Amino acid sequence: MTQWFLRGIRRGVVTTRYPARADKSARFLPTPPAFRPNTLTRQGADRLAAVCPSGALRREDSALIYDVGRCTACGRCAAEAPAAVTSSGEFELAVTVRSVLIKRIPLQGEPR
Amino acid sequence: MTPEELRETVARQFGRSLHIRTLDTGSCAVCEQEIRLLAAPHYDLNRLGFFFTPAPRHADLLLVTGPMIRAFAPAARKTYEAMPGPKIVVATGACALGGVYPSDPFTHGTVEAVLPVDVWIPGCPPSPLALLHGLGVAVGRLAERVRDLPFTAPDHPERTRGDS
Repeated sequence: MTQWFLRGIRRGVVTTRYPARADKSARFLPTPPAFRPNTLTRQGADRLAAVCPSGALRREDSALIYDVGRCTACGRCAAEAPAAVTSSGEFELAVTVRSVLIKRIPLQGEPR
Repeated sequence: MTPEELRETVARQFGRSLHIRTLDTGSCAVCEQEIRLLAAPHYDLNRLGFFFTPAPRHADLLLVTGPMIRAFAPAARKTYEAMPGPKIVVATGACALGGVYPSDPFTHGTVEAVLPVDVWIPGCPPSPLALLHGLGVAVGRLAERVRDLPFTAPDHPERTRGDS
């Protein structure tokens, strides 16, 4: 009991300082994907849209429309196309305008 | 942005404390687990002036999770109407934002279909840190970051282009 008490004093408080400072545990969070436009083709985008279980991805002409709000960060797109999809590392995603969450990612992997 | 500033805003707008009522409209309860963690010592919501309350009459902020089951919509409306103004509605999680059950016949699919939403917090589930950021955005003291995030990444150094 005494040991536990002294260790608690020595190692300080457990509460995060989050809004003022970054939290160290944030890098372990599953985060929504980020896409590599130069690696994405139309066929690749169609495959990503087909594999997305929550309808967050769809293709519109030569752009991938990505609705961050619908994304569950399940990682199926990253498993489908590991070269084109990576983790964004962003978790501070709250918005006051819903349409801001819908991102337009150009497909620049087309053969020219 | 410091906790002191956040506390000051909450104090000015809501008389020192902002009380949160959580509303589960058919979620799988993982959002609730994350919300519950906000009160745990690591995140300690109360240090920022936020508190949970069981009564909508005492609440300033409605934290809504789940895809808004149709049978629950009248209760959700009553909860919203029971809250005193000014009031904030926060839609929490991918279900509430229309991600998981967009066309399920038993749900409205989004919280927006029934309640006027002020802040959207994505994530499945949103982590306690994301929820803290969302609450900070809701009281207007933490900046929104998504507007400037492109969700694109530079090319992979080892892979050739066009192989997806």
